[in-house]
Amino acid sequence: MSNTTTAPITLTNPRTLSSTRSVFASLLRADLTTQWRNRRATVMVFILPVIILFAWKPLIKAFGGPFILANCITIGLNAVGIMGYSNSIARDRDKGIFQRLRVSPAPNWTIMVSRLTVQLVLISIMTLFVFIGGYQYDHIALTAGGYVASFFTSLACGAVYLALGQAIVGRITNPETVNATSRLIYLALILIGMFGSLGMLGNAMNKIVDYSPYGTVKTIVTHALVPSTWNADANLALLITLGYTVVFAYLGIKWFKWNSR
Amino acid sequence: MARSFTGFFPGDGRPGLAGAATTFYLRPMSNTSQQPVLQVQGLDIFYGSFQAVKKVSFAVMPGEIFGLLGPNGAGKTSTLSAVESLIKPSAGTITVAGYDTQRQTLYARACMGVQLQSTSFQPELTVAEILQLYGGIYGMTLDRQRLDEILRDIKLQDAASKRFGQLSGGQQQRVSLVIATIHNPPLLLMDEPTTGLDPQSRRQLWVRIEAMRDKGHGILLTTHSMEEAESVCDRIAIIDHGRIITIDTPQNIIDTNRDRPEVIQASRKGKITLEDVFIGLTGEAIRS
Repeated sequence: MSNTTTAPITLTNPRTLSSTRSVFASLLRADLTTQWRNRRATVMVFILPVIILFAWKPLIKAFGGPFILANCITIGLNAVGIMGYSNSIARDRDKGIFQRLRVSPAPNWTIMVSRLTVQLVLISIMTLFVFIGGYQYDHIALTAGGYVASFFTSLACGAVYLALGQAIVGRITNPETVNATSRLIYLALILIGMFGSLGMLGNAMNKIVDYSPYGTVKTIVTHALVPSTWNADANLALLITLGYTVVFAYLGIKWFKWNSR
Repeated sequence: MARSFTGFFPGDGRPGLAGAATTFYLRPMSNTSQQPVLQVQGLDIFYGSFQAVKKVSFAVMPGEIFGLLGPNGAGKTSTLSAVESLIKPSAGTITVAGYDTQRQTLYARACMGVQLQSTSFQPELTVAEILQLYGGIYGMTLDRQRLDEILRDIKLQDAASKRFGQLSGGQQQRVSLVIATIHNPPLLLMDEPTTGLDPQSRRQLWVRIEAMRDKGHGILLTTHSMEEAESVCDRIAIIDHGRIITIDTPQNIIDTNRDRPEVIQASRKGKITLEDVFIGLTGEAIRS
């Protein structure tokens, strides 16, 4: 054992904690940077709604511009919440990034809210992309109120898919299984949702789609794009979406484990 | 000169846990308090009906490297997780620099630095960005000059803009250690810090850990390397089946147990080492 001299490591003075605002700002900056460095993966999330926006141009006359935009936004919200969010959480949990943060004096909620904030930024960008693509390529123009209402509606509706993503990553700990499951749910929702809403799967399936997370979100966004058409159906869809969000979020938080091992 | 104390803590007059009138040595620490930086008392941890940790008590003093050794599944990680307040103990109390880890969790965490077994930072972030992230969490402003100083200290001055995922294992470990100590915590927790390191990196790490001890940090570490524990730890606790079976200095643990038949049987080189005592006390069977 060596003889030592000691530096002032204080035990008696109370430690001061960094402000929650400062902690959150540091986490958010890091999460946004990480997302930016993964921008190729992010672009892949945006590609499908944009492809559908262009491919469905011939359907505008039959179904109307808002219908096309609503489907594209709904698909984008699906992609962000179910594919992007759940996979990024599963990956970071498996790498022990959350455990490392949790042994620091950062409150747990700041870690998750920072992640969700990044997803809201992605939803905003995706929605703007669809608006711009729809206007430039499909010549779909909305009123100013329609753009504003549908922009905020898409942010609110993103909650249901983020909650579903949370439930997936809560129930399943293995990141590969999360990836496979999220792909399956994503494809099932958008394929059945798209073809069902086009009436290609029969009336019964059309009804089921209407009450699925895909259908309710699409209904809300469709009416928000043209606010003057907001009606009882939109209110019901909003209520059902809220119900889905509460149930998925409750299960996602209840099941969630910070450590995958 | 090292001073000799009788008792679990200097001056408290209680017998050491490994036996009556255990003598161990602590460095004199004139300007640090004699309050332990970590105190664990009567810790019980259950996973369902399985009890992983049973009435574990120990303390880590400032300026001390305390090794927690045990076979796989002995309860080391559970104990460490409870100290980090990642799991809630069924019974017992843990205080870090006087803060209760259950009731004053964030304050307790602010007083500890943690180096986890696997280095765990976002691989997309650069070294400088990781330092800024944790600096922000600990309420520190790291300007360019301070960042350069830190990076120079860990010999990574050219790696500030390198992404964490591009660093070698040794470099990642250095970043991990500097993050654990960036806020100058009284207590440093290290979970198998040398796993996967080459001899040079391992040696460098121990030099840094010993330097921190010399500055007055209390260090709690787990390791499977008995040689390392024997050479760097001031005191060691051997834990098995959730119970601490001995706490003392490495040399005292060897001396106290060298005549036990199971230790002699475990000895392979004629000379009794800490590993022989460890095997003798915990058994030769491989744990899952």
